[in-house]
Amino acid sequence: MIKVENVSKKFIKNKNKREKEEFYADKNITFEAKEGEIVGILGPNGAGKTTLLRMTAGILEPTEGTIEYDELNYKKNELEIKRSIAYLSGNTKLYDTLSTYELLKMCANMYGVPKEKIEKRIEEISKILNLDGFIHNKIAKLSTGQTQRANIARCLIHDPKYYILDEATTGLDIISSQIILDFIKDEKSKGKTILYSTHYMEEAENICDHVIMINKGVIIESGTPKEIKTRTKTTNLRDAFFQIIGGQNNEE
Amino acid sequence: MKNNIFNILKKELRETFRDKKSLAMMLVIPLFIPLIVIGMSALFETQLDVEITDYNKIGFAYHLDDTERTIAASMDLNIKEGSEEEMKKLREEGEIYLYITKENNRYTIVSTDSESSTYARSLMQAYFESYKRVLQENYLDEENINPNDVLDIITVDLKQEATDDSYFASYMQNYAFLFIIMAITVSATYPSTDTTAGEKERGTLETLLTFPIKSKDIIIGKFLGVSISSIITGLISLLLAIGSLKIANGMFSIYEGINIGYSFASIVVAILIIITFSLFVSGLCIAIASKSKTFKEAQSALTPLNFITFFPGMIVFMIGVSPSTWLSLVPFLNYSIIFTDVLNGAIKYLDIFLMLASTIIYITVVLTYIIKAYKSEKVLF
Repeated sequence: MIKVENVSKKFIKNKNKREKEEFYADKNITFEAKEGEIVGILGPNGAGKTTLLRMTAGILEPTEGTIEYDELNYKKNELEIKRSIAYLSGNTKLYDTLSTYELLKMCANMYGVPKEKIEKRIEEISKILNLDGFIHNKIAKLSTGQTQRANIARCLIHDPKYYILDEATTGLDIISSQIILDFIKDEKSKGKTILYSTHYMEEAENICDHVIMINKGVIIESGTPKEIKTRTKTTNLRDAFFQIIGGQNNEE
Repeated sequence: MKNNIFNILKKELRETFRDKKSLAMMLVIPLFIPLIVIGMSALFETQLDVEITDYNKIGFAYHLDDTERTIAASMDLNIKEGSEEEMKKLREEGEIYLYITKENNRYTIVSTDSESSTYARSLMQAYFESYKRVLQENYLDEENINPNDVLDIITVDLKQEATDDSYFASYMQNYAFLFIIMAITVSATYPSTDTTAGEKERGTLETLLTFPIKSKDIIIGKFLGVSISSIITGLISLLLAIGSLKIANGMFSIYEGINIGYSFASIVVAILIIITFSLFVSGLCIAIASKSKTFKEAQSALTPLNFITFFPGMIVFMIGVSPSTWLSLVPFLNYSIIFTDVLNGAIKYLDIFLMLASTIIYITVVLTYIIKAYKSEKVLF
C-alpha cells in the first residue's frame, strides 16, 4: 500500500532579477493506494500532478509530509523502496545509443535482478510485449509505438510492486496509448498498485478504481468515479471537474 | 555499491564509445600533435635557412680593395658596389639589406631596424673583425713582430652547449607536452557535457534518478567514465608526441645536439601525471557542466577551462619559471611544469608527490560538491 500523508512541495522561483517568490506546487496532499488498485490523479496542466508523482517516486523530496510504502518510510528506506517501483512518464526518454536488449539488461543490473535470471526475464517480457522484431535495434531507430513498448519493458524488468505512471499516454497516437492502457490493466490483474496521472478524464473513468482531483496543488475531490459523479450530479468526470472548480482558470 | 558504480560506468563508456562526436574528441584531437610538431619544426627550420642564404646582400659605397674582396668571397657575401645614392636606392628597393660608407679609415654601417638588417649587421660585424685582423697582421709583419704574440695574447674558447637551434628544439618539446594537457581538457569537455547537461536535456536523467542507486554512485560512475576517455586521449597524445618528436629529431637540423629519448622512469611518471590531470580536469568539467540546463550552456561554461589549462603553462615557458615546492600545489600550473620537467629528464619526487596529494584533495572537494548537487532536485531543473 502507498500512503501519502500531508505532503507539500514548495518551490522558489525568480520573480525578477532580485526578488524570489515561494510557491506551493502541492499542498497537504493525503491519499492511499491499496494493493491491486489503480488510483487516478486528475487535473489540468500545472495542477501539481507531476510534482506529486515525482515525490512519490523519490525523484523529488517533499518539503512537508510523509510517504510510506507498506508502512516503510520512504526517506529512511529509499533504495529498498525504489527497487519495488517503476516510474514512467510522458517525458521519460530512453538511451538512444542502446538497443532495447541492452537497455533491459542495464535496467535489470541497476535494479539488482540476479544475473542468472536476467536473460529469462528479458525473454518473458519480449514475448509479452512482442519485442522480438526490434529488440536488438538501437532505440534511436525505433518507431514511437516500439519506443513506448521498450519503455514499458524497462518498467517490467524488475517485476515491481508499484507503478507510478505520469501522463504516460500524453502525445501518443491511439495505438500507442492502447498499448499502455492494456499494460496497466494486465498489471492491475496481477495485484499491482498503480498511480496514474492524466488530464484525459475519460481515460481515467475507464481504468481507475479511485480518483483524486487536483487543482492548483490541492485536492478538490476524491472517491470512486461513480461516487464523484453522484456527488456532482454529472454523467462524466469531465463535467464533474468543471462543476467542482466552477470555471476557474488554472493559469491565474 | 561497487556494482552500481560499475553499471553506471559501463553505461557511460558505452555511450561515449558509440557517440561519434565523443569519439572524435577522444581520438582526433591527439592527431593534431604530430601535425604541430612536424609543421612547426619545418617552419623554424625554414626561418633559420633564410638567415644564411638571404641576408647576405650587402652594398658598399666605395671600391673594395683586394683584401676586402677576398674576405667577402670567403663569407659568401653578395656584394653591390656604387655611389652612396645608388646604395640608398638599392636598399629602399630591397636589393640589399644595408650598405657601408667609408671616409678615410672610418667605416659606417647604414641599416634599418628590420629583422633582415639585424642579421646582415651581425654578418658585417664579423666581416670587419676579419678585415681588421688582416690589417693588424700586415702592420705587425712590417714591424717584424709576430702577430700571434700580440693578437693572440690570450685565448678564448667558446663551448656552446645550447645553440640557437636547440633552443627551438626544446621550445617544441615543451609545447608538444603542453598540447597533451590541452588535448586532455578538450577530450574531457564533450563527455562531461553529454553525461550531465546532455542527459538533463534529453530527459534521461529522470530515468536515472528513479533507479535504486545512491547519487554518490551515479557521480563516481560518471566521473570515472569521463576520466577514462580523457586518459585514453592523454596516452594517445603522449605516444604521438614522443613519436613525432623522434621523427622530427631525425628530419630537421634544428634538433642538432639534442638526442630526443625518454627513460622508462620518465615515461612512467608522465603517464602518472596524465592520469592525475585527467581525473582532476574530468571532475572539474562535470562540476561546471552539471550546473547547466542545456548542452550549449554547458559548452559555453566550459570554454574558459580550455584557456585556463593552456595559458599558465605557456606563460611559464615564456618567462622560464622553474618548478618549486609551492608551485607543485597550484592546479593547472603544476601539471604543465612537472610534466615538461619530467620529460626533459628531471624527476623531482617531492614535487610529484605534492602534485598527487593536492590533486586528491581537489578531486575530493569537487566530487563532494557534485554529489551534493545531485542529491538536490535542482539538478533536474
